[in-house]
Amino acid sequence: MIPVSDEPLLRAEKLTMRFGGLVALDALDIEVRPREILGLLGPNGSGKTTFFNVVTGLYAASSGTITFEGRNISGLSPQAVYQAGITRTFQRSRLSLSLSVFDNVAVGNSRMLDHGIIHNLFCRKALLAEYERTVEQVRTLLATFNAALAGKLFHSAAGLSMIDRRRVEICRALISEPRLLLLDEPSAGMTHDETAELMDDIMHVREKLAPFSVVIIEHEMNVIQRTTERCVVLNYGKKIAEGSYAEITVNADVRAAYLGQE
Amino acid sequence: MSLDIFSQYLINCLMLGMIYAMVAVGFTLFFGVLDVIQFAHGDVLMAGGFGALVAYAATQAVGIANSWVQLLLMVVSTTVMTAALGALVARFLVLPLRNAPPLNTLLITLMMGMVLREAVRLVYPNGSNPQPFPSLLPHDAWRVGGLDLRVDSLILLVVGLLLIAGLHLLITRSKLGLAIRAVAQDGETARVMGINFNRIVLLTFGLGSAMGALGGVMRGLYYTEITFDVGLLLGVIGFAAAILGGLGNLYGAILGGFLFAVLQAIGAVALPVLLPDFPSAYKDVFAFTVVIVLIGWKPTGLIAEKTSERV
Amino acid sequence: MPLGVAMLVLLALSWALLGAETQTEVFGLFGVTAVIAVIASRLKFTESLGRVAVEHERAVSIACVVGILILMALFHEDHFPLLLLGSVLLYATACLGLNIQFGYVGIVNFAGASFFGIGAYTTAVLASHTAMPHLLILAAGGVMAALVGCVLLLPVLRTRGHYGALVTIAFATLFRSFLEVNDTLGGPQGLKIPSLQFFGWDLGEGLIFGGVEFSFYANYVFFALLLCMAAYVCVRRVERSWLGVAMDMVRTDEIAASVFGISIARQKIIAFVLGNLLVGIAGAAYGMMTNYIAPNNFTFADSLILVSMLLLGGIGNPLGVFPAAALILILPEKLQFIQEYRFLLYGTVIIFILLFRAQGLLPRGIRRFFPCAENDPRQ
Repeated sequence: MIPVSDEPLLRAEKLTMRFGGLVALDALDIEVRPREILGLLGPNGSGKTTFFNVVTGLYAASSGTITFEGRNISGLSPQAVYQAGITRTFQRSRLSLSLSVFDNVAVGNSRMLDHGIIHNLFCRKALLAEYERTVEQVRTLLATFNAALAGKLFHSAAGLSMIDRRRVEICRALISEPRLLLLDEPSAGMTHDETAELMDDIMHVREKLAPFSVVIIEHEMNVIQRTTERCVVLNYGKKIAEGSYAEITVNADVRAAYLGQE
Repeated sequence: MSLDIFSQYLINCLMLGMIYAMVAVGFTLFFGVLDVIQFAHGDVLMAGGFGALVAYAATQAVGIANSWVQLLLMVVSTTVMTAALGALVARFLVLPLRNAPPLNTLLITLMMGMVLREAVRLVYPNGSNPQPFPSLLPHDAWRVGGLDLRVDSLILLVVGLLLIAGLHLLITRSKLGLAIRAVAQDGETARVMGINFNRIVLLTFGLGSAMGALGGVMRGLYYTEITFDVGLLLGVIGFAAAILGGLGNLYGAILGGFLFAVLQAIGAVALPVLLPDFPSAYKDVFAFTVVIVLIGWKPTGLIAEKTSERV
Repeated sequence: MPLGVAMLVLLALSWALLGAETQTEVFGLFGVTAVIAVIASRLKFTESLGRVAVEHERAVSIACVVGILILMALFHEDHFPLLLLGSVLLYATACLGLNIQFGYVGIVNFAGASFFGIGAYTTAVLASHTAMPHLLILAAGGVMAALVGCVLLLPVLRTRGHYGALVTIAFATLFRSFLEVNDTLGGPQGLKIPSLQFFGWDLGEGLIFGGVEFSFYANYVFFALLLCMAAYVCVRRVERSWLGVAMDMVRTDEIAASVFGISIARQKIIAFVLGNLLVGIAGAAYGMMTNYIAPNNFTFADSLILVSMLLLGGIGNPLGVFPAAALILILPEKLQFIQEYRFLLYGTVIIFILLFRAQGLLPRGIRRFFPCAENDPRQ
């Protein structure tokens, strides 16, 4: 075991998730440390996305606890988890295609925006100021990823290419300056080069902001190798290995789990 | 309340429950194969009833006097007609909108229902007024233990139960039923397995519509009257029953149908007895209120539909 | 410039349509409209018009209001065209309310006519039995509709899709049935409503203004116009705010919305209550304008007509409800032979719209928060 340097940012203890007879997460213990990038690996159906869904409050865990910054967040609603500072992307793109790029990204910042009825309907001056601030913020963030994308701020998301949609989704997750970002297979549906570019951009943004922790689910091993400091490997909802990329690739259990898979 | 009146209410309630169940079964079949609500169903059924009237007039015109033969001809023609109508609705309104939002399908079929309703009202002679439906079943009554049991009601009840049981057998035992269930389970996979998807969808819509139409004819025979707007209320009730039971579930639809009839009976008979200020005319208000409460309590129906949303 | 021309043409056409008395005239008008439309699209006029209209939104709005005032002046003493104009405005107001529900947050309300009816019946009861000021009664009509809507909130929030449709469909059926059998509310015969009065001004009396005599319906058109403008501004502001973004997110993807902190229930509650409030107020004003209401005005079929207007106009675009309401309400009145066939016609038209132009007459565009702001940061 690597010695724990300081208090973990997120800690899942004995996390179990059952769907009827199926055990998707089986007494899982996972720690995410401050400022680290953690790779979450495992064959299909090993419970990686379920872990994200439980952390973000979409599923209520059958048992176990999740602590974030020392606070118990198990059982909180997705809204409350977001307020606590955790955001995510989805494996399949979940942009609202009929809305503009700006709308899609701005919604990620709803923690900072005033949703009060009076404010929105009657204080248009204050809203205008808030709006202009947000436009600048969204534009700057998009420009970090791709200058051309910033020019499409008020185009509908339906007209974007696959990689631009992914970028917009990541900007939506980043704009609220989360303390933990959960990336669910950012490479899905993209080429090697596109994925590499995307990851570089995320790292770039991360350096500019207060460096946040990232958990990344990924099948592309070179992405994991390049970006992560530590990996956790799941199989059948259990943790079967933990360590640096070099360590887990030589782990016998991991090889057994992937045998026949790749 | 005397036993006699009670038994009348009971038979009436059973009768209505069965008709509702037969309509609801259609909704649930359609939902099963395509995940859509075909809201013209009630009006397809009404059109079937009027088709039966036309068939009756035709038999009279050619001089067939035997009421059983007349009835048979009516049933056959209305079954064929509504099955065709149901399949046409599926082919030209429902299937083209498969990739549109589900509410578009709901709306387009609601509108189709309105078109059918208005067409019958305007085209059928004197269509705005109730039309007498021939009572072709024997009127004798059997006296059983102090109760008068009308033969026609009994025949209708038995036939209705046989039809529902027959449909159940068809779905669970026959090859066609297997194909329908395969499509309901997963349309894509069924297609890959060599099932002709469109054909099964059209057949299912035909089957469900014919089933509803038989319910409509039974209603006509029972009340000896039919109106152009009977489909609207029957459609709403059938839809409510199917949803209450849990969409896509045959037993749910049957349960929902009988449940609605029981609610109406409670509203019409039991509540006015218990609460003197409660007029029996509020039976529909009562029944629909309970429906709203129930759906608020069990938002995916009493026999819940299996759903899983992938994230 | 193209905007001015288009507005004048539109004004002339609506004047001709409202004033047309024979079917030949109406058909002639169709012909003229078709010719104008073909020429306009040949000259690429429609395209540039669309662009200009989006850019000069305020000018378009002002032109519309002025246009309606001009129509009102032109028909100053003809009861019927004015009544139609008032109905169009009030139905459009109701559709604006439904637009918040259907267009933004995604709740399809199949009981629109019922909430319209609640507003009208509340007005009828309060105006005949109490001495409440009429402006308050109007508000009470809206509040009553919103309150009754609140009873439905729990099932509406818990259900989705088809299960949700059942709630409002059941309510629409229930409401109609309730009105028919309730004797205190007049049963099938309905109720009479006294005409609207504010501060001594009786809207039910014709008035003389600058030496010209105006029908009393002109009062109502004017009043309906004010209501409609208020509703339009309200709906636009909902759309062009964080609330609008949140509602759109709820409609398009509830899971993504909740992961980004948006409360699904809160958005749905705001939309449903606010929508019903607007529908109820419109219904209350409609009741006062027509002086008489009966259960037959508030059936499930009428609710479907409201939804059809929304669909025809283009879901989510508040501007679309105006041409849609005008077409759906005025045409059957003008084509007498269609009267009998009007539901048939509505049904067929909507079926064709859904099959071939599901986005409606004026499809919704990309949200612009502050279209008139000097420093619109879009360029």
